[in-house]
Amino acid sequence: MSRLALSLRINGVTHDVLTEPHRTLLDVLRDDLGLTGTKENCLEAECGVCTILLDGRAVNSCILLAAQCQGREIVTIEGLARAGVFVPLQQAFVDHGAVQCGYCIPGMILAAQAYLDECPEPTDDGIREALAGNLCRCTGYQKITDAVTAAARGLARARTTQ
Amino acid sequence: MSFEYHEPTSIADAVALGARFGEAGRFLAGGTDLIIQMRRGRVAPRHVLSLHRVTGLDRIEVDGAVRLGALVTHRAIEQCPHFQGPLGALVEGAEVIGGHQIRNVATVGGNIVNASPAADVVPVLLALNATVTCLGPDGERTLPLGGFLSGPGQTARRPGELLTSIRFDRLPPRSATAFLKAGRRKAMEIAVVCVAVRLTLDAARERCQEARIALGAVAPTTMRAGAAERALEGQPLTDEILRRAGRLAAGECAPIDDVRASARYRRLLVETLVPRALRRCLDRIGRAA
Ligand SMILES: Cc1cc2nc3c(=O)[nH]c(=O)nc-3n(C[C@H](O)[C@H](O)[C@H](O)COP(=O)(O)OP(=O)(O)OC[C@H]3O[C@@H](n4cnc5c(N)ncnc54)[C@H](O)[C@@H]3O)c2cc1C
Ligand code: FES
Ligand code: FES
Repeated sequence: MSRLALSLRINGVTHDVLTEPHRTLLDVLRDDLGLTGTKENCLEAECGVCTILLDGRAVNSCILLAAQCQGREIVTIEGLARAGVFVPLQQAFVDHGAVQCGYCIPGMILAAQAYLDECPEPTDDGIREALAGNLCRCTGYQKITDAVTAAARGLARARTTQ
Repeated sequence: MSFEYHEPTSIADAVALGARFGEAGRFLAGGTDLIIQMRRGRVAPRHVLSLHRVTGLDRIEVDGAVRLGALVTHRAIEQCPHFQGPLGALVEGAEVIGGHQIRNVATVGGNIVNASPAADVVPVLLALNATVTCLGPDGERTLPLGGFLSGPGQTARRPGELLTSIRFDRLPPRSATAFLKAGRRKAMEIAVVCVAVRLTLDAARERCQEARIALGAVAPTTMRAGAAERALEGQPLTDEILRRAGRLAAGECAPIDDVRASARYRRLLVETLVPRALRRCLDRIGRAA
């Protein structure tokens, strides 16, 4: 089988990997690079646990070939906090008790972060819609939307006081 | 999944690779249909031709006509300012496809070539009389979208041919469009039935000058409801006439029973959604006046 030498830019670091064409970014993240914050579940783009940011946009890494990511900017949940300090959205998830088992949370946070980057003043419906591709079997979603709303408010406040 | 991976960087490159591999090759756009079908073993191309480095296929051009590059994403359609007015059904169709993660990568070209009878943007394009342009070893050809779709998962695309663009005319004055989708829940759901309608009123705003009705998930391909369209043209759009169009559309579609719904329920939905979509168009034309 043919092998591909890829140079992948993940969380600001370049990783050289040798892989096969059929392997997804999710496979490479988890199995080759040990970045297991990105979760694996349905493998059919239904549940959202594998969500990462590709050039700033939320995408499902389970249906994205690693080969398609060469030269593009990838952010996983491991790359969000700076020097061990949570970004406001992560802190809001903690503060609002929005995390139970935690399995859906990396994808949830990245999808929400991409949405807030695009739409800094979201409505409740907008948040729910933006997270429609992320399933959670524990929380009932309310605390998750609360956390995203609170993070958006906090960020708006920070912008006006700056 | 086992295949050779290729990354053409121009349209000419993509067409050359398409011609070289023919049936053994598949173009990869957003991969939201293709990768899943490959993983399920439903298709097994020996060559995958990723289009993400091909430039010039992700543009939306609007002058007298509208041209969508095949790689325009559903998200780009949702956010395009040109589609906020009379062409709003395009946004209504695009914004109900999957979640953000899907719409960020899934393309209009993929929606068409995948040829699911339940596709959401396809009926809107059909109601807009869209044509599709393909480029292959034998050159370029342009076909009406209705003729391009030939069966579930089947199109008139020749092996290796690249779909490059979709084109339709802008709407005359006194026109509007509407798209309605019935599913079992609001998001992340394949349509049980979807309906796209385009309506133009006559100069007196009293009668229907032209009507186009497209139905999804009720036949082997997305279809036009021709009898219902004819029953509207030249008529004053009374509630009774709109309901009659709904009954005719329900009669001319050919739904099946499946896990999502029975054929009977699908016909009932068509009967209800067609007049509702037409009424929405009337409201929109009224409001724009
Ligand atoms: C979770 C989920 C939810 C979904 N929900 C919906 C929904 O609600 N409504 C809906 O309509 N669809 C839905 N889909 C299906 C899918 O997202 C759409 O059909 C999408 O538009 C496909 O586009 P793509 O770019 O991902 O196509 P791909 O998967 O890349 O390609 C699809 C097919 O088209 C061919 N192809 C793609 N581009 C070209 C081209 N330019 N020239 C020639 N051939 C080409 C490919 O070879 C392949 O056969 C959903 C999918 C998932 C996974
Ligand atoms: S594992 Fe990718 S969406 Fe479920
Ligand atoms: S917290 Fe358990 S799945 Fe969401």
